[in-house]
Amino acid sequence: MKNLILKITYSFVLRWFLKLIVGVKFTNAEFLKDIKQFIIVANHNSHLDTITLMASLPSYILPNVKPVAAVDHFGKSRFSTWLSNTFINTLLINRKRDKENLENDPIHKMISAIDQGFSLILFPEGTRGEPEKEQKLKGGIGLILEQRPDILIVPAYMKGMGKAMPKGDSLIIPFNSKLVYGKPKRIKFDTVQDVLNQIENDFKELKTIANK
Amino acid sequence: MKELLNLKAIFSNDLMIVVGLIFGLLIFASTSFFVVGKIKPNTNLTELKSRTKSWWVMATVFIAATLLNTKISYLALAFLSFMAFRELYSLLDLRTSDRRAIFWALLAIPAQYYLAYIGWYGAFIILIPVAMFLIIPMRLVLKGDTNGIIKSMATLQWSLMLTVFSISHLAYLISLPQIKGFAVGGRGLLLFIVFLTEMNDILQFTWGKLFGKHKVIPKVSPNKTWEGLIGGIICTTIAGYFLAFITPLTNIEAAVVSFIVAISGFIGDVVMSAVKRDIGVKDTGSAIPGHGGILDRIDSLAYTAPVFFHLVYFLEY
Repeated sequence: MKNLILKITYSFVLRWFLKLIVGVKFTNAEFLKDIKQFIIVANHNSHLDTITLMASLPSYILPNVKPVAAVDHFGKSRFSTWLSNTFINTLLINRKRDKENLENDPIHKMISAIDQGFSLILFPEGTRGEPEKEQKLKGGIGLILEQRPDILIVPAYMKGMGKAMPKGDSLIIPFNSKLVYGKPKRIKFDTVQDVLNQIENDFKELKTIANK
Repeated sequence: MKELLNLKAIFSNDLMIVVGLIFGLLIFASTSFFVVGKIKPNTNLTELKSRTKSWWVMATVFIAATLLNTKISYLALAFLSFMAFRELYSLLDLRTSDRRAIFWALLAIPAQYYLAYIGWYGAFIILIPVAMFLIIPMRLVLKGDTNGIIKSMATLQWSLMLTVFSISHLAYLISLPQIKGFAVGGRGLLLFIVFLTEMNDILQFTWGKLFGKHKVIPKVSPNKTWEGLIGGIICTTIAGYFLAFITPLTNIEAAVVSFIVAISGFIGDVVMSAVKRDIGVKDTGSAIPGHGGILDRIDSLAYTAPVFFHLVYFLEY
């Protein structure tokens, strides 16, 4: 049932809404169906980011992909938790680490989702920033890779989303925007900062492609 | 089903001649590029080919939308306006504080096309030039961000005029009352002006490519030449003379109107070129392969539609 809801919501309703009304130009994400497991890392300016990424995916891998979201925002009440889990398929995590209580630890939660076979969508910028401005990346993605170094990273960049629906405004104003994917890859690294630098570079490269 | 597919209009002979002509031209273009590609494999035809491919799609969609059912025509044209308006304000670097005013401007699109649909001329002709002209600055002022407000007021109003007010004249053509002895009706006028405008673009482009030497306005658009402009205008005028049978105009009137349309089309084209140059982009988007954005294709139409509408309105209604 949940799978059906996800497929209808994203592959039909939201994909067409984003394409026709908001004006999002998708790049083909069919290549993701050949990869068993991946983490999409993307820049974050808008609530539209998550649904845009989900709407771009091939429909039958949808149930297997979990966008990572902050529990203080998307899990405020039981109702919002249910909404997030049913319609966005979220993996709700705390923003702060909690090494004593592993059940609450964000890194532990993400790694166990990976071990269960889920793919993740992660916004290393953490919270939504100003439109078209990059923020410093947070270390979580590096910490995951330290423990599961073989997982494939797929960088993604979205342009214009923060103009269509910026932080602090719930009105969507259509805006010609774009989603571009980079090539899936295994990141080679020594430190967490290495990972972040490489992802930052990917974002920069994809940004120039998106602005073309 | 009978109501949905207005078969009488499809099989109206006069319109069928023009539809046949359009597809004939497309077949001619596609075959000649295919033949040239076979004879001289080194010629670079990729852009021309993708342009022609897009023409096939655009012509088919346009003809289907205009001839099958008039209700669909209003919706399709409204959506065209919406896409063009969105493309334009997305490029024009508006402020975050302009979002509410943009929302009001977007609401003007269904309103404007509804007025065209019910044929309320008085309201249709003042909604954007008067009502929106007053409403948009009001909404911006209510938001209270005065830094750069003049630019936002002007940008939004101009964008609405160009992409919504101008283009909506195409929709009003179908709402014009019946004239005795002119059976084809508004669809004929719509087909006439769109076909003529696009032919004018293509003809000016082709004449320019073949014989172009003396630049008209090199600072704005280095590809526009006097040879292309004059050759295009002459051909368009002649084409208009022979296409008069889908309008209520006499052949001579149609030729004069086409002459003015050809010049307006050129002006619309260079006005958009100047805007693109100011922003620093080559195309307004990438919606239509080989052509660029929606606006790159309808820039001349935004000028020819109101000019043609008011000329015909003056002469016949």
